[in-house]
Amino acid sequence: MKVELQKDNYTANPFVFRKALVVNKVEEAPGIYTYFLKFDGEFKILPGQFNMLYVYGLGEVPISLSNLPIFRNGYTLLEHTVRVMGAVTKAITLGLGIGSFIGIRGPYGNGWPLKDAEGRDITIVGGGIGIAPLRPIIKYVEREREKFGRMNILLGARTPRDMPYKYELDKYGAILNTKLLLSSDTPADGWVHHVGFVTDLINNIDVNIKNSVVFVCGPEVMMRVAVKKLLGRGFRKEDIYLSLERRMRCGIGVCGTCQFGHYFVCRDGPVFRYSDIEDYLWVEGI
Amino acid sequence: MDNECYLHKAKYVMLETRLLNTGLAKKVWSCSTMNTNELCGNNCNLFVGGFKDLGTVVKLLQEDLGGVRLFGYKLHNDRIEFGEMKDFDEIPTTVADIQKPGYFRISSTGYRFRHSFSSPKAFLLPPEHSILTVSQGYEIVEDGDGEMGVVFLGIKPCDRKAMSILDGILYGKSPVYTKRRDSIKAIIVEECLEPGETCFCSAVKAGPTISSGFDIAYARLYKDTLVFKYGSSLGEKILVKAGLQKAQDSHVKAYFEMVANAISMMNSRISRVEELQKALKERIGDKSFWEKVSSNCVGCGNCNYVCPTCFCTEINDIVEEGYSKRIGMWLGCLTYTYGLVAGGHFRQELYTRYRHFVLHKFLFYPKQVGDVGCVGCGRCITWCPLGVDLRDTLNLLVEGGTR
Repeated sequence: MKVELQKDNYTANPFVFRKALVVNKVEEAPGIYTYFLKFDGEFKILPGQFNMLYVYGLGEVPISLSNLPIFRNGYTLLEHTVRVMGAVTKAITLGLGIGSFIGIRGPYGNGWPLKDAEGRDITIVGGGIGIAPLRPIIKYVEREREKFGRMNILLGARTPRDMPYKYELDKYGAILNTKLLLSSDTPADGWVHHVGFVTDLINNIDVNIKNSVVFVCGPEVMMRVAVKKLLGRGFRKEDIYLSLERRMRCGIGVCGTCQFGHYFVCRDGPVFRYSDIEDYLWVEGI
Repeated sequence: MDNECYLHKAKYVMLETRLLNTGLAKKVWSCSTMNTNELCGNNCNLFVGGFKDLGTVVKLLQEDLGGVRLFGYKLHNDRIEFGEMKDFDEIPTTVADIQKPGYFRISSTGYRFRHSFSSPKAFLLPPEHSILTVSQGYEIVEDGDGEMGVVFLGIKPCDRKAMSILDGILYGKSPVYTKRRDSIKAIIVEECLEPGETCFCSAVKAGPTISSGFDIAYARLYKDTLVFKYGSSLGEKILVKAGLQKAQDSHVKAYFEMVANAISMMNSRISRVEELQKALKERIGDKSFWEKVSSNCVGCGNCNYVCPTCFCTEINDIVEEGYSKRIGMWLGCLTYTYGLVAGGHFRQELYTRYRHFVLHKFLFYPKQVGDVGCVGCGRCITWCPLGVDLRDTLNLLVEGGTR
């Protein structure tokens, strides 16, 4: 029998990873570290996409890109911010110092729709480690400032100590035509910003709602509240983008463990337009 | 009168007597005005023979393809499994199966069996399969799996359709699946003329007959009377070479009657798929409904493992002698691990996992591969240790959950 099947883009074993060298490691907050990974050759990846990081003998974890990639002198430098959660992330943060190797394959997922955002106001809503995948957007808008409208950056963490990228937050606020609003769930000495949830700040932003794009990432509960508040303020469903997280093993839509409704988060996401997932987002455990 | 005339006559009889109000009848009716048809695919060039002839057919096919291994259903510890066969005569011909929710027994009275607990999935995506071998220095050691050629012998139409569904998800993407799928050189299908108690293939258009995607198909009319047809030029060549006789009028008539019987028996076992899909969309967030229908489920994942279309896998690292083997392993969505992540759980409550199984088959597969992901084989019902019956859930959905 002639099997009438089509091999789409199948070349070699997609699970083969590349070997990367850890060239720097920065402690962002308790249990949160940013790794600077270096490869020979070019590694193309877009803001919002992620890589699978592999630790020998333990396994892989999906980690979003947390800064724009740098490609120069024949090598690529990538940043990934990792929070200690399970066996693999523990092994990365405790075991991998500067000079260690790590396996990396990717990029996976679709990324933030930055082309569509051109000419429009941008609002970024990030909570905790969810700020990491949003950071490349901020850097990109900074670099291509004239292409975008006003930018509002809303960032929150449980406590001020838990906020990643503390050392450069001032720089975000200093970007032309940009407003930075911070929040901490709990009060702390010397904290002059909002106390409460980052989503509270949605009421305070001044943008052209009809010509806006909103990028949200954080715990799913926080993202649901954000959506509610954004819709309440009149943002269109189609203009709200969320980056979701699920259990992931393959990154290429074959292991099935990242299913969210009929979507494979690894392949169809991790960034979703709210209007595409409104049937699922409110259903517990879908 | 040749087969073709009988085909039209048989279809007319079917319409008149049994299928008038079913969805399939409409389909058959519209097709009967054309040259091809839903039931056969090649104008029903039916041939007749016995198991000895099937042996000849298999032998000729093996000679034609050269050095191929046979995979099919065979007896194993009083059950029927899917696996490699030494010879074609391992096909069980002197036993029947008795299947009920949570019940499977082999009976020595009777000669028809429905299906195995393991499906072709066990070959295409083995329960444990190597993905990668890695050295401590993060170098990849490629596993050199040799080339192979395989013939699937006697697989049921439901399992054949399950392969097409898996193709939609995994072919060209999963290396192990793609390689094994490509190794299949020919497919011989055994059509089911007497459905088992847990079967409902016709209600999801996955059987009991097959019209495309096979080389040769046969149906067991009586104990040692088989009706053959071909579905490819290879199949035609082999059947002609085997010197099979054209089926007589009586065979053709009996065949179509039995098919019609099987269909009418199964179609009523679940509601129409379109109605189910509508009800599922409405009930997606109805927690109390899903808690009720999953109340007997223990989350063992048996349904996932016996399901011919479930494909979810976990990847585990197993370290041996200085190498880490990355092993893909089946992971059932009914088991607790599904959705578990470090620091949280996306499907902690059992009802959400049971719901995913049902929604995936009927709502999500159509969006992922363009067809319902359930083939109505009934394995999940038969092999559920608690006898949870998917059909009850489906029927409750449409009835409004009042039963």
